[in-house]
Amino acid sequence: MTAQKTALPAAQKRAPRILQNALVQWIGVAALVVALIVFPLVASPTLMNIGVFALIYALPAIGLSLLMGLAGQVSLGQASFFAISAYAHAMLITRTPIPEVLAAVLAVGVSMLIALLVGWPLLRLRGHFLALATLGLGFIVYIVARESDFTNRTLGISGIQRPEVFGMEIGNNGLFFYFVAPFVVIGLILALNLTRSRAGRALSAVNDSELAAESLGVGTYSLRLKVFVLSAAFAGLGGVFYAYHVRIVTPEIGEFHLSVEFLLMVVLGGLGSVWGAVAGSFIVELLRDGLRAIIPTIIPGATGEVQLIGYGLVLVLVIILLPGGFVGVVQIITRWVRRMLGKGPSTTARSAKLQGASDQTPTGAFSAAIAEEEAQRIDSAVEQAAANLPEMPTPVATGETVLRLEGLTKRYGGVVAVDNVTFDVPAGRITGLIGPNGAGKTTCFNMISGAIAPTSGTVSFLGREVQGRKPNVAASAGLTRTFQNLQVFGSTDVLGNVYMGRYRNGRAGVLRGMLGMQGAEQRRHRDVARDILDALNLGDVADLPAGDLPFGRQRMMEVCRALALEPTLLLLDEPMAGLSGAEREVLAELLRRLRDAGLTVLLVEHDVAQVMALADQVAVLDDGDLIAIGTPEEVQANPKVIAAYLGTEEDEAEQVLEGVAAVDAVRSDDPKEDDDA
Amino acid sequence: MLVDFLQLTVAGLSQGSVYALLAVGLIATYTVRHVINIAQGDFAMLAGLGAVSMVAGGVPLLLAVIFAIIGVTVASVIMERLIISRVKNLTTLVSIILTLGVSTLIQACMLLAWGAEGRRLPTFPGSDINVAGISIRSQELWMLGALLVVGGGILLFYEKTKFGKALRAVAEQPVAARIVGISPVVASIVAFAIAGFAGGVSGVVAAPLYLATWSAGLLLGLKGFVAAVLGGLVSFRAAIIGALVLGVLEQYVAGYIDGGFKDAVAFLVLILVLIIRPQGLVLRQSAVRV
Repeated sequence: MTAQKTALPAAQKRAPRILQNALVQWIGVAALVVALIVFPLVASPTLMNIGVFALIYALPAIGLSLLMGLAGQVSLGQASFFAISAYAHAMLITRTPIPEVLAAVLAVGVSMLIALLVGWPLLRLRGHFLALATLGLGFIVYIVARESDFTNRTLGISGIQRPEVFGMEIGNNGLFFYFVAPFVVIGLILALNLTRSRAGRALSAVNDSELAAESLGVGTYSLRLKVFVLSAAFAGLGGVFYAYHVRIVTPEIGEFHLSVEFLLMVVLGGLGSVWGAVAGSFIVELLRDGLRAIIPTIIPGATGEVQLIGYGLVLVLVIILLPGGFVGVVQIITRWVRRMLGKGPSTTARSAKLQGASDQTPTGAFSAAIAEEEAQRIDSAVEQAAANLPEMPTPVATGETVLRLEGLTKRYGGVVAVDNVTFDVPAGRITGLIGPNGAGKTTCFNMISGAIAPTSGTVSFLGREVQGRKPNVAASAGLTRTFQNLQVFGSTDVLGNVYMGRYRNGRAGVLRGMLGMQGAEQRRHRDVARDILDALNLGDVADLPAGDLPFGRQRMMEVCRALALEPTLLLLDEPMAGLSGAEREVLAELLRRLRDAGLTVLLVEHDVAQVMALADQVAVLDDGDLIAIGTPEEVQANPKVIAAYLGTEEDEAEQVLEGVAAVDAVRSDDPKEDDDA
Repeated sequence: MLVDFLQLTVAGLSQGSVYALLAVGLIATYTVRHVINIAQGDFAMLAGLGAVSMVAGGVPLLLAVIFAIIGVTVASVIMERLIISRVKNLTTLVSIILTLGVSTLIQACMLLAWGAEGRRLPTFPGSDINVAGISIRSQELWMLGALLVVGGGILLFYEKTKFGKALRAVAEQPVAARIVGISPVVASIVAFAIAGFAGGVSGVVAAPLYLATWSAGLLLGLKGFVAAVLGGLVSFRAAIIGALVLGVLEQYVAGYIDGGFKDAVAFLVLILVLIIRPQGLVLRQSAVRV
């Protein structure tokens, strides 16, 4: 549940920016439609045959590209869903009197059902388990088809009639091409819509940082499961067309080599690119026919599946040399052409903007003059921020309990990291959690945020137990966090990051996303995200890639992202770490104002002075135990706390409190402690 | 009746020892590089076919077997150097796609070099024995012996020697491993050499009983993988036991139900294990995250 990278590396799966552009997309779709209309008019019979298979195979390939690109998962059994549906369709139309359209729907439904049953337990596990289980499924499907009388063993299901559309028999390759093409185009559009939808963006955020996305309320598991079932639906549709086209369904179509072929189409086309999947299916089919023709002439006597040598070679070479695949190459060429024409996005302008951005960041305030200027800027920055702060919904009255920890304990083997910690976090207050190194602060924090499960004890947020659940459970109730080691969604811009914070407030699911019926909702949330960025002085960098920002501004962006969720409780993991003095001032003042606006804050912080100055309530952990809780003044006066921080014995620490003289005495006794103090 | 049962058990154990050797090779590379090597079984077939050709060319059986094993060990290291190590950010998932490509490539090369027909290696020296009506072929003893010596040796190397333990540390703590003097590059080469060696041995001991065919490696390697999953991808012992159980189960299915379904057993086991107990048969709750 940690930020374990289950997904494919970001560089390999990111859909190219150029193709995300809606206008370019529609031009692309129009060009594809024209090409598909013209193809049967000009293609030779051989090419026509290749074209029909390429179209049929494009459907499973699109499904697989969604699975790999969005869900970050690989199926090595895409052919099994293809085969299940082909068999189901063939058996339904040859053995039952039900209408063919209904048979096709049922056939696709069977594939989806099997995918649901397989994905339901397996998508909870790390990525490679699904790959291996689907591979196993592929063999099982193949063997069952080959061995059972129900599927007519190796003879397969034959006697499938050609389909009729409006009374016209789809009797040749040309007509069949036109019969399949609309489905491929519609499938492509649906898939493209999905990648740009709320669900699609959430999944690409998951691929950047699963923990961060889940902390914003993204239910990774259920989204992945939906995409997996959807990819099986695409495969199933391909299977139905296959049954119609070949008119006999034999166990061979479930064979592993076909799954490899689908995988090759997606990898070769460009991992995670829907366009790439369509291109890949044509390239692989051409490659297949070419190799089968060429290899026997080079190596006399070569028979059988000789095209495999090309598949293997291409698969390996593409992954090593061209992780972007065909689409990646197109992208590089496009960029090159643009640069040649002098139209490309000027990198100098962008870096100048970035330079300006970092100039504004208060860093290195050393000289008095600069400090003076800084102070003014901080004031104005905070003033401006306060004016436009987003609303902080407060479901409970100030002072009442928002978060309750009871007996929270975490053991690692024999080591007790957090031992029986119990305290309340009141609404509308800033609570600080401090402690020396290794005191269990971060473990405690991670149990609250859902990143790790406690050994025992409960975490109740707004009266609901959330311990041991995924972070998205608490997040959807209004608890979110920032990260000490920043978890920025690198595949999108700053606005896109903050937009992800709106995930909880959106409603559109996978289906609406595919149908493209969420434009208004997306625009509304995008506007809110932009307002928050403006309010916190990040409006000028909204369109820059998030990874390009300097550290301090990335942290502010994470705060924006968390605020966009409209949280009830904001958890901050060492928010001051890595910030300059002036940046700390800005953040501290912002947090005070957010608290005054009703937000509850819990922060883990190493910098004790900052916490004492900022927090209304301070909890101190030492060696896994909660040793003190109270106002900053109470805690500061607590002998146990002093002992913990000074590393002295308790009685010695009491002496510390007895008077200045005693303190002096202790200090002169041990100069090292003087340093610590 | 009981004799049949025991006969099937013996056949299953010898078949299972081949899966076990492959599983040991898979775990050897997974623990060090977090790479799942789909091509592992193809290396076994490569060794088998190579040895067959050498014997046909007049090389004595023993030498042919040794040369084949060395050749495959070298091939595995070459794969690591030329292909595996070339990919940056090699996640386990990408490694599956990548080695799938390698597997396809090796299969196609074997198809072109040896044709589609399966080939058989001469039986190793020794005589069949008969205990209480159960006949045990000498080759089956060779297979079990290979597991005992090679599988056991690799297990001891990884679990008992300092270098072996350090190899496992490379995957978890690359920096720490470097401090104690093991470079990730060396660790990776050693791991793939061990995997290639185990694969080669499994290929040559199985080739006299089961045909060596260009396409059989994938299925064989995957069954080794199923056994490795039974070991949670980390435990040699659990994987070896899992492999033997798998081999025996397959024989029971073939003997009592239907030979055609034999190959489905492994994958049914795989899916069930992943659903019910993804950490494998490892009894101790290890730090493995799934």
